[in-house]
Amino acid sequence: MSERRTLDSALAGATLTGAQPSSIDYRPVAVMPDVRVVKIGGQSVMDRGRAALFPILDEIIEARRKGIQVVVLAGGGTRARHIYAIASELEMPTGVVATLGKYIPMQNARMLQMLLAKHGGLYIMPDDFEKLPLYLSLGCIPVMSGMPPFGYWEKHEEGSRIPPHRTDAGVFLSCEFLGARRAIYIKDEDGLYTDDPKKDPSAQHIPRITAKELRERNLPDVVIERVLLDYLPRSRWCKELQIVNGLKPGQVLAALEGKDVGTLISA
Amino acid sequence: MTKLVGGDGRTHIESRLMRESLQNRTVLSKTESERDLQIFPDVTMVSIGGQSIFDRGKDAILPLVEELAEVKRRHKIVIGVGGGTRVRHTVSIALDLGLPTGGVAQLIGAMEELNAILLNALLAPHGSMPMQRDHFWDLPLYFDAGITPIAISVPPFHFWEPPPIDGAVPMHGSDFGLFQMAEVLGFKQVIFVKDEDGLYDKDPKKHKDAKKYGKVALEDLIKNPPTENILDEEMYRTWAEAKNIKRVVIVNGLKPGQLTRALDGEDVGTVITKGGAQ
Repeated sequence: MSERRTLDSALAGATLTGAQPSSIDYRPVAVMPDVRVVKIGGQSVMDRGRAALFPILDEIIEARRKGIQVVVLAGGGTRARHIYAIASELEMPTGVVATLGKYIPMQNARMLQMLLAKHGGLYIMPDDFEKLPLYLSLGCIPVMSGMPPFGYWEKHEEGSRIPPHRTDAGVFLSCEFLGARRAIYIKDEDGLYTDDPKKDPSAQHIPRITAKELRERNLPDVVIERVLLDYLPRSRWCKELQIVNGLKPGQVLAALEGKDVGTLISA
Repeated sequence: MTKLVGGDGRTHIESRLMRESLQNRTVLSKTESERDLQIFPDVTMVSIGGQSIFDRGKDAILPLVEELAEVKRRHKIVIGVGGGTRVRHTVSIALDLGLPTGGVAQLIGAMEELNAILLNALLAPHGSMPMQRDHFWDLPLYFDAGITPIAISVPPFHFWEPPPIDGAVPMHGSDFGLFQMAEVLGFKQVIFVKDEDGLYDKDPKKHKDAKKYGKVALEDLIKNPPTENILDEEMYRTWAEAKNIKRVVIVNGLKPGQLTRALDGEDVGTVITKGGAQ
């Protein structure tokens, strides 16, 4: 029998699980660290229509005019919840639910593109990510679905049929790849509270917290997808999640300018 | 009837998840049940090793193709392949260059695809076709026509590969990708074709006293993992949380007949079962 014909490399013969061998001196390079990736919430912003959305878009356009490179990712919202509820009744596997969940943020991204078109709004797909340098140097505002492209490969998580990686995760993972330090989330609350402020008026605002502290509080509800609390401590570039209130004038622009508004969750 | 609900500045569609936070554990638990829909329960995923089979060249590949050509007449199978040594070379260069994990993930699938093209060129006269990424809904058509699909094995995480638990190598490779495809579609089982008679407690290529597992429960394997594993850790982690797949078999593709016997339901190689399945 012929032998395995292997190429000589630091990983030759390895099973490719776990950490790389110490012979590799890994010094990560930031791909596009100045890009701001910002999510426009589905339920929190898009489902409110023009009253909420138009002022937010004005601030994004303003930031772009100031030379800030912005990539907009869209959330899902109530239509996503509707299809998730029906798919769950039918006992669809999580990977199927995640695939269904791709379509609504895509619709929202297309709506955003139409509104931003005259200011350089450009609808892009995951495969277009390598063209970001061109789009951004032309002054465009690329708009994409926030859903990461896992689809049928989204894993089941204990105690839920809902995909654990949704559009919050997509924004964080985009930042982590690009080498951007802060992921920005535009919602309809000032950030993180001790409970859902829409249901519990006595819930208190938390301006700054670490992922570890947040996990230890073991809150019944959090403002951001839980999987990010696992990822933040082990990420290399994206070390902060910023949640801002898009209903309050000036917050979005301030966040895009790098100011500490809303809630900051750090690694 | 479907109802639109307003009143809080947002327009909702009535559903069990309306207005709910999808981070709330109580809400999430209402979406869960013991079982998942099994879409294709009579199909087996066959994963052929990159390093273990393809990197050996003709002597290892051709007899296996003959066996596949024969066995595909009787069994519904989807085939996936590993990338082997070229993947390891890609990753080691990419890490030396400091590319981010998502960037490495974007690169590696190309190396598996080379093996998929080779396999398809050899198997096509017997009826095979490369299957596009997630064109699963064509599967009934493939099987009716006697065509065996060759799937893309590396999952589409690409630039969005999550930060690994340890180090910078992407966690989601071809073992995970093929397992997850079988899981989400509710396949019958996954068979990994390697160059050893199964799974051993340590690497049998380095240790003469390595002991082979015959039949072993996934739960025991996770409690007492072998020192070196022939399959990616992420596959085991995913399987532990999964609902559909109950049986994973590891056979030796260098020994003619082992794959056929496994497909015929015999306990050959190492059989890993979950949840008390036989």
